[in-house]
Amino acid sequence: MSTAPVIAIDNVYKTFKRRVHALRGVSMRVHEGEIFGLLGPNGAGKSTLVKILMTVIRANKLSGTVLGRSVGHKPTLTQVGYLPEHHRFPKYLRAEQVLDYLAGLSGVPRRVRKKRIDEMLDLVGMRDWKRQRVGEFSKGMQQRIGIAQALMNDPKLLLLDEPTDGVDPVGRREIRDLLIRLRAEGRTVFINSHLLSELEMVCDRVSIMVKGRVAMEGTIDELTQDSRRYEITVKGTVPKDIVSSVDGRTESTTDGMMNLIVPTAQAESIQPVIDKLRGSGVVIHVVKPVRESLEDLFIRAIQTTGEDSATPGAVTGRRSKGGPEA
Amino acid sequence: MTAVFAILMDSYRSLKAQRLFKTVLVLSILVIVGFASFGFNAKGMTLFFGAVTIDNEFIHADSPHAKTLYLGIFSAFIVNLWLAWVATILALISTSSIYPAFLSEGAVELVMSKPVRRTTLFIAKYIGGLLFVVLQVSVFCLGAFLVAGWRIDEWTVSIFLAIPLVTIFFSYLFCVNVLLGVVTRSTLVALLFTLLFWFMTFGVRTADDILHTVWFQGEAMMEHWEQNVESETQDLANYKRELAALEDEGSESGLQYYRSQIKRTESSLVSLEDELADRKKLLSQLKPWVTTINVLRWPLPETSRTIGLLQRWIDQGRDVTMNDIMTGKIFEDEEYEEEDDFNRDRNAQERMMQREEGISAGGIIGWSLLFELVVLILAWWVFVRRDY
Repeated sequence: MSTAPVIAIDNVYKTFKRRVHALRGVSMRVHEGEIFGLLGPNGAGKSTLVKILMTVIRANKLSGTVLGRSVGHKPTLTQVGYLPEHHRFPKYLRAEQVLDYLAGLSGVPRRVRKKRIDEMLDLVGMRDWKRQRVGEFSKGMQQRIGIAQALMNDPKLLLLDEPTDGVDPVGRREIRDLLIRLRAEGRTVFINSHLLSELEMVCDRVSIMVKGRVAMEGTIDELTQDSRRYEITVKGTVPKDIVSSVDGRTESTTDGMMNLIVPTAQAESIQPVIDKLRGSGVVIHVVKPVRESLEDLFIRAIQTTGEDSATPGAVTGRRSKGGPEA
Repeated sequence: MTAVFAILMDSYRSLKAQRLFKTVLVLSILVIVGFASFGFNAKGMTLFFGAVTIDNEFIHADSPHAKTLYLGIFSAFIVNLWLAWVATILALISTSSIYPAFLSEGAVELVMSKPVRRTTLFIAKYIGGLLFVVLQVSVFCLGAFLVAGWRIDEWTVSIFLAIPLVTIFFSYLFCVNVLLGVVTRSTLVALLFTLLFWFMTFGVRTADDILHTVWFQGEAMMEHWEQNVESETQDLANYKRELAALEDEGSESGLQYYRSQIKRTESSLVSLEDELADRKKLLSQLKPWVTTINVLRWPLPETSRTIGLLQRWIDQGRDVTMNDIMTGKIFEDEEYEEEDDFNRDRNAQERMMQREEGISAGGIIGWSLLFELVVLILAWWVFVRRDY
């Protein structure tokens, strides 16, 4: 995987109506060929950031590039596919006409459009509905058409805002597989989503935004590094000297067992602990490596970056390169 | 270019999908059928494809006025009433949603994120909106052209001038609609305020026409009283000269006659001068109103004058114009010639016509397009600068 940044932005500020500070110095890097997840609670500024990248809104202050050209450079958008959140297609258009219209706006020649319409509809499993008006489609079907239209211009970079919104579990899996396939083709995918479990399964790197700032950014492994540990489930109690010797802690489980939590990510480090437990006659049921889920990480980022957090990137993990206050 | 074509194609698809577009098209065809049902025979005019004949010695199949009247019905009534009123209201209802729908949440992001400049999007969408009128009026004019050719055996190509004229006329209103649609993003507000603007324009124009008609009637009246005063003054001078001559001769009966004439003329002159003063006062009272309405009309687009150009161009080169038929000039006889009131009204009407004809087509369209340009620049400015 190349590390050339496909998106490189620094100090993005956006204030609406001189009152609402949507973005307060966001900096971010998205590398070529990766699936990048942008997370954050409602009102964190995720969609605003995506809209700025797509020139739908203008930042008050910004320096950065998309595919090597300044943000706002319209011709660059011929290489970018975008699925907005809550998108609405003209109801009078048929599925194929939606793709034709939006690809036409992207400057895709008619001959190419004709060919790609069937390919893209096939890709999202909507070919049988190509002559159906989109106004008659369910949310999930519209979402599939949305993804198809984002791919019509054969983009190098794909920005998807809540791509699995309204899609059933089978559809979600298909979309996940599609994203992985797009990555394998060398495309960069930027996803903005609330579905953390979905992102966890596909994202190479994530960024968590809270209150208009990047609270965390990095690979999931990097971000969960501090939380990686081993859990040893035993029957009975763990001798206190063993607990203190590994700087660990214990917690009871619901089925009457006890967990010894050892703060290490190294399998080698856990072997002497197992030996000690066995030596003490403790029956070991399970030994497993554990790390924070993306959801845990997300919640931690929100809790840590409270109202009074003055510095962007205040949360542990890879700290963001946040700018000064807006 | 691909993007512009995509927007125009989308506009066409959007119109095609609208029930109202098809309804207006069907109604237009019905109006054309109605136009076709009117004709002429040797006795006069016929209605309902010859079912009813209205005898007329001036207008019949062999009369040259028939052609003028037939084309006049198209330009003065059908275009003025159907295209410039009913069809325009329906077109505004249809097109009011173009920009609000385009800028609605979920739709605007799809379009604004494309590699197309906002200015290009704005202009292409605007042209797309005008497509409604262009398509409707084109079908209508083609029908009218064929019907007129069949009915009066004259293939009047100038009928097709209605296409640009009605489109330009509609664009004066559509630009206001676009500005409101872009600013408020509400179809209803855009439509209602555009109609309000239109009716306001209509009101100002009607008030201006009425005031000018009254003004010209007043002027004609004043000229009439001035002539009377002049004539009476002349008579008085003559009587005085005759009286002086008779006083030398000493004929008492002659002296008495001229003295009584002088007395009557003097008294008549006083009342005529009073009347003239009243007329002048009336005109001077009217003057500020005429000026005010002129100022009010000045920045507004010339909606009806633009449509009126069609009549002007169709009448061009004809001996008898539709106005001659409408003002009864072709029917005039000696009896009416002597009616002062009738002449004065016609005089005022002719002055109104001269006033209208004094304004060039370039002036009418150019000034209105300037208004449209200003409104469009405002709308464009909001459109390109706004965050969506």
